[in-house]
Amino acid sequence: MNNPHHMNPRSLKSRFTTRFLRALTKIRAQKPISSSSPTEIFRRYRKIKVAADKSMAYSVRSRKTWSRAMLWKLRSRSHRRRPVKTKFRQSVMKNTKTTTTTGEDGVGFGVEASELRELVPGGEAMDLCNLLDETAHYIKCLTTQVQVMKKIADFYSL
Amino acid sequence: MEKDEALTAPRQPAWNTEVLNCATEKVGNHFRNPNWDNSMDQSDPFESALSSMVSSPAASNVPVSGENVIMRELIGKLGNICNSGDASCYTTPLNSPPSFDFSMVNLLNRSTLTPFSADPGFAERAARFSCFGSGGNSGGFNDPLMDSFNLSGNQSINVNGSQSNKNSGSDKKNSGVLRSSSPENAESGVSKEESSVSQQIQSQNDSGTRKRKSTPRGKAKEIPSPAAVDAKVASENDESNSKRSRRDGAPAGNGNAKASNDGNEKQSKENSKPPKDYIHVRARRGQATDSHSLAERVRREKISERMKFLQDLVPGCNKVTGKAVMLDEIINYVQSLQSQVEFLSMKLATVNPRMDVNMEALLSKEMFESRGPLPHGVYSIDSSPAFPYGYQPQQGLPPLNNGIPNTTETPFSMKTQGFQLPSIDRFTDAHPQVGSMWEDDLQSIVQMGFAQNQPQSYQGSIPTGQVKMEL
Repeated sequence: MNNPHHMNPRSLKSRFTTRFLRALTKIRAQKPISSSSPTEIFRRYRKIKVAADKSMAYSVRSRKTWSRAMLWKLRSRSHRRRPVKTKFRQSVMKNTKTTTTTGEDGVGFGVEASELRELVPGGEAMDLCNLLDETAHYIKCLTTQVQVMKKIADFYSL
Repeated sequence: MEKDEALTAPRQPAWNTEVLNCATEKVGNHFRNPNWDNSMDQSDPFESALSSMVSSPAASNVPVSGENVIMRELIGKLGNICNSGDASCYTTPLNSPPSFDFSMVNLLNRSTLTPFSADPGFAERAARFSCFGSGGNSGGFNDPLMDSFNLSGNQSINVNGSQSNKNSGSDKKNSGVLRSSSPENAESGVSKEESSVSQQIQSQNDSGTRKRKSTPRGKAKEIPSPAAVDAKVASENDESNSKRSRRDGAPAGNGNAKASNDGNEKQSKENSKPPKDYIHVRARRGQATDSHSLAERVRREKISERMKFLQDLVPGCNKVTGKAVMLDEIINYVQSLQSQVEFLSMKLATVNPRMDVNMEALLSKEMFESRGPLPHGVYSIDSSPAFPYGYQPQQGLPPLNNGIPNTTETPFSMKTQGFQLPSIDRFTDAHPQVGSMWEDDLQSIVQMGFAQNQPQSYQGSIPTGQVKMEL
């Protein structure tokens, strides 16, 4: 009965799937969907989004800067329990901007690089070289996330 | 180059004689007191020192058969010194002096080779001699010959222990240019062509000194040790050259190959190898060679390498050229992915699935998705809903435990052995109670499957399974 096509249990996809499904069931267990109002739905949506990000970050652990930054953000957010996102982000950016290598090596990436830094978590504190590395890994993880969530959503809607 | 090499061969005797003459003359005339701090006085102690110095490297290498043989070795070694841009340019003072002394000794027709006394003193003396030689170059030396010699030497195998030879040869070649008292100048100048020797020597010396510590370390060690042999020298030089090219990062590999291929002519262009860098880059022809621009080039190459990789990741970026446009595409793609995640999470929040069925099915589906739709069907719902869920674990446990070590799927496959769930349609048949139990069982199964939990944990979840999980 062994499946000849075993998926690697330690691949990023399986790790993320496990964690995310677990979190999803937890969220769903909290309140029944049938009785949700838009606000409830919105809240659940936020929770699910956080769960997705968290699952992905935990699947990557600390191997990548962006996952570390994301985990730190999530933890600090849960600890503070107040809408300090903007302030937090400002302080983070202020602290990290100083460490950012302002001197590009003459390739003229300035505008796009700063945009990319905002997109990739923890990107403010990275030089362009590492930023591109992190972006590549982040893209890979995002695609995995999207695939899994799509499958789940399709499955649910069946 | 070839011409030079051809020149060197027939010229050797003439060179030898000339060197001899010049050497003897220079010893008396151009000998610099400041450089010559040794107790040795001029010719005699010099000769003795030279002989001693010469003998040490030569002893291990070649028996003093004849002056010509020695001279030929010298020439070869001298060429080697000048040869590899880095190696020769940045030979330590230890290197240069010995070579010089060696040649001097040969010139003086010393056949006795005494073991080398090592080193620091020897290096000093050699350095002085090199200056001496440089000063003497303008004298009776045949400059064109020396140039050709230098060039040929550059292309010849590198010198190893014959660092001394190198130095002496280089010194001689640095006609007039190496007036600087530092022997390093003479050494570095050797590798260069005469015209550019002076400037390069100056600049190179500064960087060369730095490099000397890093690169010719091995060579420096060689000098004191009499074990330096021609063959070894050649191999070392080759190694050092290749080492330098290999040390470079991948992007710089081309530059290195080019540089090494171009030979000594490019040595002048390559001024600096940042000594502190982990990656040693060789400047390519016609490119700036200060350490800043080198490091910048390495960085740029790294970045372009990563951009290419990103190009493969982002779909539809193959035709895009230019870093700015590429970056824009990447940014758009990341933004689209993030918004997709948000949309899907919203969808998951609103969808009203049947959790009981879905979880397990989903999990197995995810696991099997690589093979397309679940060929084994979803194991979630038992074909016999009436079958108490509690039994499942007991039945499924032994196979589960067996299956756990294999893959994540095996637990499920094992579990469903008794159920034969052919298709996903079975889900609809699930009973609510079973479904709730399934839910917890799924969780526990997941934990078991991935964490290889014990059956107890699995059993323990059964009672809690009574709690229905609303979707």
